[in-house]
Amino acid sequence: MSESTPAVEIRHLVKEFKTSFKRQPLRAVDDVSIRIMPGEVYGLIGPNGSGKSTTMKALLGLVAPTSGQCAIFGKDSLKVDSRNEVGFLPENPYFYKHLSGKETLEFYGKLCGIRGAILKDRVTELLELVDLAGASHRRIGGYSKGMLQRIGLAQALIQQPRLVILDEPTAGVDPIGSREIRDLIFKLREQGITVFLCSHLLEQVQEVCDHVGIIFRGKMVKEGRLEDLIAIEDQTELILKDADPALIAEIEALIARDAKAKLIRTGKPRTTLERLFLRETKKQETLSK
Amino acid sequence: MNPLSALTDHVARITVIAFHAFTQLVRMKVFYFLAFFALILIASNFFNLPQHEGPEAAGINVLRSIKSWSLGAMTLFSIVLSIVSTALLLPKDVEDRTLYTILAKPVPRLDYLAGKLLGVLLLVFVSLALMDLLMTGILQIRTNMVLGDQMAFAEARGWPAEEKEALKNDILAQGPTASLQGAVVSVFLRAAIIASLALLISTFSSSTLFTTIIAFLVYFIGHFQADARAAFLSQEAGTGDGFFARVVTLLVALVLPDFQLFNVIDAVIEGQVMPLVILGKLALMALFYAVFYIIASWLIFAKKEF
Repeated sequence: MSESTPAVEIRHLVKEFKTSFKRQPLRAVDDVSIRIMPGEVYGLIGPNGSGKSTTMKALLGLVAPTSGQCAIFGKDSLKVDSRNEVGFLPENPYFYKHLSGKETLEFYGKLCGIRGAILKDRVTELLELVDLAGASHRRIGGYSKGMLQRIGLAQALIQQPRLVILDEPTAGVDPIGSREIRDLIFKLREQGITVFLCSHLLEQVQEVCDHVGIIFRGKMVKEGRLEDLIAIEDQTELILKDADPALIAEIEALIARDAKAKLIRTGKPRTTLERLFLRETKKQETLSK
Repeated sequence: MNPLSALTDHVARITVIAFHAFTQLVRMKVFYFLAFFALILIASNFFNLPQHEGPEAAGINVLRSIKSWSLGAMTLFSIVLSIVSTALLLPKDVEDRTLYTILAKPVPRLDYLAGKLLGVLLLVFVSLALMDLLMTGILQIRTNMVLGDQMAFAEARGWPAEEKEALKNDILAQGPTASLQGAVVSVFLRAAIIASLALLISTFSSSTLFTTIIAFLVYFIGHFQADARAAFLSQEAGTGDGFFARVVTLLVALVLPDFQLFNVIDAVIEGQVMPLVILGKLALMALFYAVFYIIASWLIFAKKEF
């Protein structure tokens, strides 16, 4: 399979659902096309009910397209073998409560045909990756929301897929858990794994994705490289560290001398509330040790 | 991929899902019912059915009572386990979205269905094996007791050797025989048919309750469908419209199993021998319906969207 084969190729996807009483079927996805190349992290953003999850389900063969095609590394999504290369974490996943974390990963690994020592090593590796080695023998029924998301991510990665699909991976997770999942996505990107995620938490998408698509009422309204989409073309940002007030005055004077350029704002950049929260909780954690 | 390797993959996946379904049900503590079975078995020792035969038949009724209560309880537990477990597993996976994570792996939907069904059947098989073990053990002890009493009775009366031998054979025929094991296998085969049917219903039903009720209804209908068919055919024969009636009844028989064929279990309780050919017929019938229902389930499930 060449690197020019897209990891995900959705062409003119339309998905309509029959409704019992309405005369017209409900069109959840309306002519959506997405192309994700290997190694990219693609974020599909949109409000609730905009068709994000339906698009993902169509890509996984969980729903059949009304029209259009979906392919994973060139293989038709409706064919079972397309799922060899993909790992999926659904929104708010619940796994079998009677299994422990370790047993859960073993079950999914066996479904993918992994056995013996290879499976054992892979399970240990993944439990460490998602920081659940200490809870590996605990029943899933006793896991917190964040732990469930992490074991979900681990099961998605069990067969070392080249594509990972994450549906709202941080929904309902606290900021620390959310940061851990984000760090895992960064690790996946470093390993060259293609990530297709959907979320309505825009800040997170901005942080991890290099490509985004905005879907609204089933239609793709904007798509492209994140940097291109969010850059304000006629503005330039200059962030200085330890700058002397005299230097700043000099820069401002220089700008004032230019007939065209205009200084819009100066001030101190602000951290986010999330970063502040993480910093303070980490500080308290260190103090309590 | 060559066909043999593909087949091995299918078998491996089905086995994984089957053992998982079995573990899931076991961890739901379903084996607690075995305690009830043990109680029923002990109680059956104390039921004195009306005795019409002479003193030489004393004790035989107790053996019949043990078999009757045990096989009755086995039938009840196996049918309830088959229907309820099957009706529960599929909707639970959909509701908890665990089905998404399974079908997002390279798992064909047929493998998933077959695995779930085999998991339930494994549970029913193990349950029946444990109940059978208890029944056979108690029956063996009780048969030895009856045999001892009756032989002493015959000895006291000075019966000739051949009459004593005949009495011994009569008592042993009421004990744990190969036919009794055949009856237990028949109970399993009937449960396998009903579990496959429950699987089919659960692929299109919207609730566990609906699946359970419909499966129980079909189970009861199965006990009189042969009579209904025969009555319908004789009625239609009078009107001269025999062909249409035959096609309708054939279709009914194709979809709804005739559970009257399993009445051989009652004959075994009475001490009769179950011919191997009957057991073979029942096995073929169970295989036919299990395959028929699972293919129908797959045709529906393959088109289902989640």
